[in-house]
Amino acid sequence: MTCADVADLLDRFVDAELPAPMLLAVARHAGGCPACDTAARELTGVRDLVGGTVQDDAERLDLSRVWPAVARAADRTDARRAWVRRMRLAPVWGVGLAAASALFWLRTTPEPVRVAERPPRRNQAVIERIDSASPLELRRERKDGTVLIMVSAPGQP
Amino acid sequence: MSPRLATAVAVCMVVGVAAAAHGLEVQITTVRVVDHGHSDAQLDALRPRLRRLVGYRSFQVVREERRQCAWQTAEAFKIPGGRVLHVVPKGMREQAVAMQVKLLDRRRPLVDTDFRLQNRGVLLFAVDRDVRGAQPLIIMLRAEE
Repeated sequence: MTCADVADLLDRFVDAELPAPMLLAVARHAGGCPACDTAARELTGVRDLVGGTVQDDAERLDLSRVWPAVARAADRTDARRAWVRRMRLAPVWGVGLAAASALFWLRTTPEPVRVAERPPRRNQAVIERIDSASPLELRRERKDGTVLIMVSAPGQP
Repeated sequence: MSPRLATAVAVCMVVGVAAAAHGLEVQITTVRVVDHGHSDAQLDALRPRLRRLVGYRSFQVVREERRQCAWQTAEAFKIPGGRVLHVVPKGMREQAVAMQVKLLDRRRPLVDTDFRLQNRGVLLFAVDRDVRGAQPLIIMLRAEE
């Protein structure tokens, strides 16, 4: 392994992201190469410095407002999901409302005005055939439909 | 045929025969009409109708007969003044009674008619005053199945 190879792998060596044989190979090379060893130590120092800075920043970070904000966001998400669930049921609600409105409309629609029907006449008679040698007269009473067959007795002047 | 079915058929036949035998109740009421005088109370309901039809004011029952008539069988009802009303109930059609009626004056036919009368309805025959001076008569025929 050359210094150029180590330079390419140094970041991942410092972060211990290399496979074990590569880690060992870089460490052996750095152990015999003062330039690569220095480069590795500097990079490790930078990493520790950055890590320490980030940790300090994290420790100084005020999270007191974060969790309420997260809770509010979660509430908003829950509410949105609830609306989504309701919207999924919208067709069912629509059909139900349509049925209810149709029922209401049918029940409240006034019945069409009916023309008063004449009640059936009680004495309705239908003369199908009538024969008489005497003078004959048929009369029908208007109110009940009663039929009168009036015949003249024989010898009547 | 199973016993139950045979029993049902027999019951239906008995009921049918009984219904056919029951036939029709025919009521013949002969009414004398006069210009003046009292009217019989039993005619109160019919009186306005009779007045409108024949123009007389007073109505008195002369004879009344009620008889159970078998279908397709002639029945003779005597009418005062030597007249006879022959009634033949033919059957029921659309809630109406089909009948044939002949009114005879002694042996001379006055009227011969076929008609359908609403069940429990009334058909009237009126015979005018004749040369013998007999009062006009109204013959009321009421039929009820």
